[in-house]
Amino acid sequence: MEIKTEQFTDLAKKELENDRLRTFLKVWFPVLSMKRDLGIATLPDPAAAQAYGAAIREEAMERLPELLEEFEKNALANGAKVFWARDAKEANDYITNLAKERGIKYVTKGKSMVTEETGLNEVLSQNGVEVWETDLGEFIAQQLHRPPFHIVGPAINVPVEEVRDLFLEKINLQEPTLDPVQLGYAARIFLRDKFHHVQMGITGINIAVAETGTIINVENEGNIRFTKASPPTQVSVMSVEKVVATMKDALHMIRLLCRNCTGQKLTAYVSMDSGPKKSGEIDGPEELFIVIVDNGRTKIYQDPIARDVLRCIRCAACLNSCPVYGKIGGYAYGWAYSGPMGQVLDPVLLGLERTQDLYRATTLCGACKSVCPVGIDHPSMFLYYRAKDVLGEPYFMAKRRPRSEERFFKAFAWAVSRPWLWNLAVRMIRPYINKDAREGVISKMKGPFAGWFRTRDLPVMAWITFHERWEKMKENA
Amino acid sequence: MRKALGARRKEGKMEQSARDEILAKLRAAPKKAIHPRPYVPPLSELSMTKEELIERFMKNLVEETGIVHRVPDMQAALDKLTEIVKAEGLKKVMVSTDDVVAPLDLPAWGQRNNIKVMTHKDFSDRESFKDAVFQEAEAGITGADFAVAETGTLGLIHNKDQARLVSLAPILHIAIAPLERMVPVYEQVIEKVFGDKAGATGRSPLLPSQFLFITGPSMTGDIQGALFKGMHGPRRIIVILVG
Amino acid sequence: MENVSLFIPCTIDLFLPHIGEATVSLLRRVGADPLYHSEQTCCGQPAMNAGYRKEARKAAKHFIEVFGDDEKVVSPSGSCVCMVKYRYPELLEDEPQWRKRAEELALRIYELSQYLVDVLKIEDVGASFAGKVAYHESCHILRGLGVSEQPKKLIKAVKGAQLIPLNAADSCCGFGGEFANQFPDISEAMVKDKAENYLTSGADLLLLCEPGCLLNIGGYLSRNLPGKKVMHLACFLAGNRTEGW
Repeated sequence: MEIKTEQFTDLAKKELENDRLRTFLKVWFPVLSMKRDLGIATLPDPAAAQAYGAAIREEAMERLPELLEEFEKNALANGAKVFWARDAKEANDYITNLAKERGIKYVTKGKSMVTEETGLNEVLSQNGVEVWETDLGEFIAQQLHRPPFHIVGPAINVPVEEVRDLFLEKINLQEPTLDPVQLGYAARIFLRDKFHHVQMGITGINIAVAETGTIINVENEGNIRFTKASPPTQVSVMSVEKVVATMKDALHMIRLLCRNCTGQKLTAYVSMDSGPKKSGEIDGPEELFIVIVDNGRTKIYQDPIARDVLRCIRCAACLNSCPVYGKIGGYAYGWAYSGPMGQVLDPVLLGLERTQDLYRATTLCGACKSVCPVGIDHPSMFLYYRAKDVLGEPYFMAKRRPRSEERFFKAFAWAVSRPWLWNLAVRMIRPYINKDAREGVISKMKGPFAGWFRTRDLPVMAWITFHERWEKMKENA
Repeated sequence: MRKALGARRKEGKMEQSARDEILAKLRAAPKKAIHPRPYVPPLSELSMTKEELIERFMKNLVEETGIVHRVPDMQAALDKLTEIVKAEGLKKVMVSTDDVVAPLDLPAWGQRNNIKVMTHKDFSDRESFKDAVFQEAEAGITGADFAVAETGTLGLIHNKDQARLVSLAPILHIAIAPLERMVPVYEQVIEKVFGDKAGATGRSPLLPSQFLFITGPSMTGDIQGALFKGMHGPRRIIVILVG
Repeated sequence: MENVSLFIPCTIDLFLPHIGEATVSLLRRVGADPLYHSEQTCCGQPAMNAGYRKEARKAAKHFIEVFGDDEKVVSPSGSCVCMVKYRYPELLEDEPQWRKRAEELALRIYELSQYLVDVLKIEDVGASFAGKVAYHESCHILRGLGVSEQPKKLIKAVKGAQLIPLNAADSCCGFGGEFANQFPDISEAMVKDKAENYLTSGADLLLLCEPGCLLNIGGYLSRNLPGKKVMHLACFLAGNRTEGW
């Protein structure tokens, strides 16, 4: 998947100018947010449940090497094969080789964000293995060559007319229709054929359980179940941080995951695999390959503050409550991960320099932090990345800020602790700031603050500031 | 440390596997404190009576458009099944051979009722089974190992008598769930299925290759948020509660 | 008489001084004796938010020096109070003496409505207003300080004022400091929504407790919907309702 994180501002602008999208978001986004709130309210003490989720994931991250080892040991004992990939290339090559060794013509794929991150689909295609995304939204996004719009609804923003046209062209839609149900049924028929004959399936992993070596997937559609049941070979891919200690921990996370994601108490299907099929079973995989992917996470892990970002369970609660996401949707973030979770993860996976806008395109409103079931403090992470940026730290692949900005804040620091200098600076800047003012209001200003003045006014910088008024006010007490 | 590892890889001697490298890096990182877990009040289902649980189960499943029938015993279950199959006009079904369904002898029942009843054991291999379950079976009939009141959920252990595709490929899933298998919340299920830690490697050899929770029919909202049932899996689920 | 030290954020000091005046007059009316250290400058939030922690630390230390001996500090701004309460200890964590002072100061600094209702135990400040008002829940005040009931109690106690619901009241207005200037397209979309929700609420007046939000929403209304007013709670309660935004 092409990385376009540097283009955030332009992409966001494009999305904002898309009237169809704005109308859609205006209706859908509040519904999504409300569903999440209603879902989490079905728990007897939602705040405690969320805090417990945070504790589970905090422990899982602190015990990560130990839990990964335990998971591997148990998965191997179950008969699964486990492959560790340092990076995207190792993961993609391994899976591609598995396919080629088995003469696989095509694979069906259940949703896997980490494989979007590694770009697996492109590598498979280049090697003559056709890839069929089978989650309806992922399927539409794949056929339209678009990145995912939302974790749960990868193509939910696509207008019905476009889906109809796509299906007429690509999947033999018989009757042109704008009915999403009929379109969905057409996709069902088309993909059913793929499920029927598939010889190798690839899935993601929502949760890996150390205690039993089990991998768990949650879904509503059934495409992951098909991908696990039908072919003789199953490949399931996880990034290193997906592990929890026990099945009980996993159950709690599933309760939080489903409610935060779609507002459901539980998705239609939760499948838990502990190894390949046993003898005598007619379906299910003969071979189960579990691929554990690092791709930059052990690096993040070294920093105790950034480490918390790895707690994320991809529930999308933060997307569902972010006022910025609610305006621009998922494409603007330019990669596999969008919304606040993408804004905290991408900078440490891709480096601060190429994600500069991502950790700045936030008002620090804290809505994300307030809904996160694993206690990630997104606003603090954004501030942390900005601080690393200012320091130009190579470990974070940061680039230093513009000299003019550095000078400004150096001056700020000088003045802020010297009241006489501060007040003098105010008196000196004031006539300049106010030079285009009219009737106590500034409507335009050239220079670094032009962005503000496009649709907003500003009061003049007070000719008598509060500082300057106080002497009088003190007397009048 | 990364530099040292890279150098070792280049040397070719003592080449560290990806696994060892990843684990080593994680182990080398500075540790943080693990905070004690907060108290979480128990789910309301844990203090419900048996009847309340059944009611809760039914309410939850019906909310997901599941159809639920309650019958007193297995004979009545068979009668209900006959009624459903006739009402649906089903001619060909795929059934499990699990411990709920097997005693009903559905193949014989099928002959009596002029319905083609297949089990996965009728097929010598995966591909011929798949042809039948994908293309012929109009419904899949299974038992259930568990019923969970918390969300109107069925728990199925997949094994040699419970093929995965039976409750997935046909457009209708009919499940027969004995009420003595009803539990309040998922934990009781998980304890029974995953709890046994016996076994040579510390893992139970009895861990099912797949354990599955089913809550209602297959569903999606991926096209403009319009929700509908029967995306890839069954469009409808009918549960017969017995007891 | 309750002694209380005023922390007037730079946004108010420089652009909205009438809010500072209203704060003083309001506090005097309810029996407090506000004191203002004119050595105060800025809490350092702009530097912190831009990632300039060394510079923010300078502001923090100066602030602690200025306010260090005060029994209580009150401010008509939630984001600045959050900066002092939550970010100062973090900024100074490597300097134990300073951190200790920051932690102690955090215990005695309040946002204005929090101070009136929780500390002075006052809800009726003797104000009156004939009409409907709506209240915008600023992010730092709501989620940072957990303050939501206090401003509403104060508003409800105003004779003749009717507090009516505001759609998406707790949704961010799009200010975010430098965000509004750096990402104007997104910021505009957000503030436009806030303005629309204000319009459809039927309120005669929109109230809030945060100068940043006030500049943002007020700035948008001034340019696009000049008839509609937004006002800081301090001005509303003190009766200073004519000057500026």
